[in-house]
Amino acid sequence: MTADIATQSAEESSLAQLIVETLNLDQHAAAIDPEAPLHGEGLGLDSIDMLEISLTVAQRYGVKLRADGEGNAEIFRSLRSLNAYIQAHRES
Amino acid sequence: MTGTARVQEWVSRPERGSLPAIRLGIWAARRMGRPVARLLLYPLCLYFCLSSPAAGRASRAYLRRVLGRAPGLADQFRHFLTFARCLLDRVFLLGDRTEDFEVTVHGEQILRDIEARGGGCILIGAHFGSFEVARAIGRKRRRDLPITLLMYEENAQKIRAALSAINPSLATEVIGLGRADSLIAVAERLRAGHFIGVLADRNVQGKDLARYPFLGAEAAFPQGPFRIAMMLQSPAVLMAGMYRGGKRYEVHFELLAEPAARPLDAAPWLDTVMRRYVARLEHYCRQAPYNWFNFYDFWA
Repeated sequence: MTADIATQSAEESSLAQLIVETLNLDQHAAAIDPEAPLHGEGLGLDSIDMLEISLTVAQRYGVKLRADGEGNAEIFRSLRSLNAYIQAHRES
Repeated sequence: MTGTARVQEWVSRPERGSLPAIRLGIWAARRMGRPVARLLLYPLCLYFCLSSPAAGRASRAYLRRVLGRAPGLADQFRHFLTFARCLLDRVFLLGDRTEDFEVTVHGEQILRDIEARGGGCILIGAHFGSFEVARAIGRKRRRDLPITLLMYEENAQKIRAALSAINPSLATEVIGLGRADSLIAVAERLRAGHFIGVLADRNVQGKDLARYPFLGAEAAFPQGPFRIAMMLQSPAVLMAGMYRGGKRYEVHFELLAEPAARPLDAAPWLDTVMRRYVARLEHYCRQAPYNWFNFYDFWA
């Protein structure tokens, strides 16, 4: 499947859905640009939002996001990169 | 002045000293020793009384509320002097060659319980008295409290540099809120049993605020620190370290909340805990009025 660069994959869209529900965002999950930054500018999430996401991701996917990882700037860069990390590390 | 400008002004004000100036101050304080340095604080405070009318106005507005009478110039001077003395004592409290402070601790059992259980706590303070006195408590107990300070990124850099200038061997860590994973780091420190120190009286970003009656009028307080305790199911412990003159400090620990499970509905939980925090803060302000170190219009 060749997806448009700005189109969410199925996995990305379910992660987007999860984020919107968890944070009660005033935004449609489908409207989140998968390449836009999550933290700060872009989606405008703050560090409490990011903590909330990490707790939800741990619960839903069994993937622990850690603070010591050097690659965190990359993991939290966008919906796409976060999803890529989750898919690579999820249980089952 | 616009709201943003005002916020900018006091975000930067408390740590406005440049690093070389801070280093010079630390060096001078150590060279002179505490008694001589304290004498120098008199002319210094007089200078600030005359040169900082905005801080003076804020001081008098606060003192009028807490003292219940019109404050005189002597009150304002004493307010500035208490602030300066606490700042100076930081050098000695955090240093290795310490003066012998007389620290009375109330509620130490709370610390023991948390240490016994592991898992740390959120140690919630204010710009009130001394937070650094926590280190003297650790030394008294022959075991440093493992403290990690959480603060806005703008301040974190400077505090980190100042701490290492005072004492490079300090175990205190500083986490700035500027990174996406800042609070994930906090969660990990908690699991390692750290006390996460955070001052919960200033609202910098103008969001996530709640207003509570404080000394006779409503003031805005940030929900963030309490929300973090709630999300991570960590005990929220109030710390008030009051300067009591001479070498005396009086420290109170109080358990504000202990979320056994994450509350289903955040709003009422936050409301209860924050109301308690603000009420206790007011209580301690009345006990030691000159220990309040927010020199801007707090009730804006």
